[in-house]
Amino acid sequence: MMKILTLPQAVVAKHGAKAWPLGLAGAGLLIVGSLLSWSYDAQVLDDLSISLNPGGLQIMAIGFAALAIILLLARKGPLTPLGQWTHTAKGLHAVADWTLIFMVLVVAGITSEAGGLVNVAPGAWISLLGAVVLFAASRLVVHRKYRDPAEAALPGWIEILVIVVVMAAVLFGTAYALNLTDAWEFVLFLVFVSGMVVAASGAGLLSWLGHVTTRRKRVLILAAFAVAFCFPLTQGGSDANMSIASQVLVFAAAAMGLNIVVGLAGLLDLGYIAFLGSGAYVGATLSTSGFATIGWKPPFIVVILVAACFSGTLGLIIGAPTLRVSGDYLAIVTLAFGEIFRLTMFNLDGNNGPDLTHGPNGIPAIPDLAFGSFNFGDTHYLLGIPLARFSNYYFLLLILLAFVILVFHRLNTSRIGRGWVAIREDEKAAEAMGVNVFGLKILAFVTGAFLAGMAGAIKAHQDVSVTPDQYIFLESAFLLAAIVLGGMGTIVGVLVGSVILKLLPEKLRFFSDYRLMMFGLLLVLMMRFRPEGLVANRRRQLEFHEEDEELAVRVEGDVAEGVMEV
Amino acid sequence: MSNLTTGAPKVAIFVQQLINGLSLGSLYALIAVGYTVVYGILQLINFAHGEVFMIGAFGALTVSVVLFQGNTALWTLPVMILGAVIASVTTAVLMERFAYRPLRNAPRLAPLITAIGVSVFLQELVRLNYNQVPFTTWNPFNLPDAKSLIPFPQIDVVTGPAIQVGGVTIQREAIFTIGALIVCSVLLWWFINHTKMGHGMQAVSQDKDTARLMGINVDRVIVVAFALGAALAAVAGVAQGLQNHNIDFHMGFLAGLKAFVAAVLGGIGNVAGAVVGGLVLGVVEAMATQYIPGQFGGSPWKDVWAFVMLILVLVFRPRGLLGEKVADRA
Repeated sequence: MMKILTLPQAVVAKHGAKAWPLGLAGAGLLIVGSLLSWSYDAQVLDDLSISLNPGGLQIMAIGFAALAIILLLARKGPLTPLGQWTHTAKGLHAVADWTLIFMVLVVAGITSEAGGLVNVAPGAWISLLGAVVLFAASRLVVHRKYRDPAEAALPGWIEILVIVVVMAAVLFGTAYALNLTDAWEFVLFLVFVSGMVVAASGAGLLSWLGHVTTRRKRVLILAAFAVAFCFPLTQGGSDANMSIASQVLVFAAAAMGLNIVVGLAGLLDLGYIAFLGSGAYVGATLSTSGFATIGWKPPFIVVILVAACFSGTLGLIIGAPTLRVSGDYLAIVTLAFGEIFRLTMFNLDGNNGPDLTHGPNGIPAIPDLAFGSFNFGDTHYLLGIPLARFSNYYFLLLILLAFVILVFHRLNTSRIGRGWVAIREDEKAAEAMGVNVFGLKILAFVTGAFLAGMAGAIKAHQDVSVTPDQYIFLESAFLLAAIVLGGMGTIVGVLVGSVILKLLPEKLRFFSDYRLMMFGLLLVLMMRFRPEGLVANRRRQLEFHEEDEELAVRVEGDVAEGVMEV
Repeated sequence: MSNLTTGAPKVAIFVQQLINGLSLGSLYALIAVGYTVVYGILQLINFAHGEVFMIGAFGALTVSVVLFQGNTALWTLPVMILGAVIASVTTAVLMERFAYRPLRNAPRLAPLITAIGVSVFLQELVRLNYNQVPFTTWNPFNLPDAKSLIPFPQIDVVTGPAIQVGGVTIQREAIFTIGALIVCSVLLWWFINHTKMGHGMQAVSQDKDTARLMGINVDRVIVVAFALGAALAAVAGVAQGLQNHNIDFHMGFLAGLKAFVAAVLGGIGNVAGAVVGGLVLGVVEAMATQYIPGQFGGSPWKDVWAFVMLILVLVFRPRGLLGEKVADRA
């Protein structure tokens, strides 16, 4: 959008001075419009019809306007100290683009939901006009030099405060998004969030935040887990969203395990879901379900270890012979293994083999977990807030995810992690330098399988039943997509990718027919335009953009300063 | 199929399974050529090739429904095959142009992931939009709904009552499939060894850079490789439709995977190897259902044995039965 709609240099030079007042006028109009009624129909988009009582979408529009005003005042006005550090022009471009998209979609949404353009009230038109004016103004803004935000030094407490505020915004935003029932509202909220993120990233705020979070890693991790822990408390005992959230966590834990294999060691595993599945099957057959086929009923802590070891052993069996072959072959062998697993579970039904899994019917009626007197199926109370079944699993899965992330992080920052980087970038060179290529590959493969086995054992109880069709190839592809989308080898990226891939389909039900198609298209487009993922690891980025000299210099600089882990 | 054993002489059983295996293997071979040709030139596993095969079958079905409205005379078959080839080749060429070409110099993970994306996309495209223009319910030609199995037109002469030869039952579709493989193999052999473009393909698969210096249009050779594989997959799609009596949007996944096993079995990059590998895989599958004793021998396990064979081949003879023609890939 920015490339298509750039004004000629001459026009910018002539009218550049008008950008500032024009932009402020646009933002002002946007705010005024948002305080008025947007729609004559009170039923649509959560009631936008009352003047001076802005609804959710109107508050978002005001948020856009506020960001635009801050950026404009940072160019000229009281906030100029901030302007030295931010790339205001790029930020303004992004804000203006996304505000315009947002307002156009609002008008489209009101039109389609209320049945006709006549339902759009003057307030929406004023806001739309404001967005257009802001857009025009942003095109007149010229780029200015700004200082590297990495050098900005603020008092420590401000940095910590920023982290806390950002995390609180994430918590509030997620809870808000999950409670949106209307598809249009949800899409518009996504547009708002994307717009804010793109604008902040354009203005350089994200890279500053990145530096702050690297400096204050402990605070960040603590805040992130506090937020994740507090999430069920925002749901007021409703289990519907917690069901989605706990599925997201299983998915994220599996994706993070796969991230060790694909993201760190660079081994493409297309049958990873089989390891999750074998964990789930072990969990199910050793549970007290009436349909379980094995008599041994150990406590769950033993079951989860057995499941993990069983998956790990499978990983060893499949990995040991095949890890010697080149990468593409490995992808297909793992894919074949995934199919073997699914077909075997399907066939062990008593007719075509020993009755171990009940074939296509699977193992139903797996009881809820219970640690002592704490039954996961019951509703418990924390600070008077009811926490139902899925909330209990959510907390357990949160611990699992934390463990998986810990394993990931410790491996990544160790000698082993550096060995993986070396293998990923050039296997032969790594071998020549004395890296134990085969051993490290096996380690990655088995660790990934082990962690998936643990996740699977919990998943079996959470899902109540285990059937072969839960572990089809497409699920492996989804896990891989979460990694690719988020950013291979990163923690935050994969978490973001998992949330996007699991949450969006749940919320975009009206879209459900087309979601797989969009998923395929998304993979193709990601590989084409941003192969390093949404949250890119700098080194990863370099692997995908080998000819980018400037990036190479920056990566080297970061490594030298110790900002980036190798 | 193990219930055939009752009463029939042992030789007849063996010949029966051999013919079953060869007809199955011919399908694999026709698809496997597409994997191997592309891999030989680009070192890319075109994971979406199974979907090209599936789209071939749908192309043939479309031609039959739109042009012949239920007419199953033998003369419609060549037109259906032509329709299948056009559909498949168009898909493959577009795929190469828009999905793979931009990634020519990307790390190896990227095109493979793209291929998975293309595969899912094409399956869904057929599933949702075969009988309706996207985002509408408009169905100008009254095409059937692709969300479930669609009956494939049963052409006279090549389908119908099976032929009995001394206790062995030979399905007419099997004769068609094996015949199609023979014709396609001869044409392919002639194309690769006796045309300028064929020589160009050989040169590019040996050394892309030198071939370019010798004045060969590498991009065009790559497009031709995709088109060639697609054309053969299209024929396989028609054969599959005739053999199974119906087609669906998901048929490309397993067939494509098996064909890839066949290509690896024969030595990927080696065109003759793909044909041999396909036939061997088909025969092994058929024999496994017959001769592996006990509960693990039935047809539910045949796919498992095919994949086990893939793993074994890769472990003990990663260059395949006939050896890999391409040099070691660094």
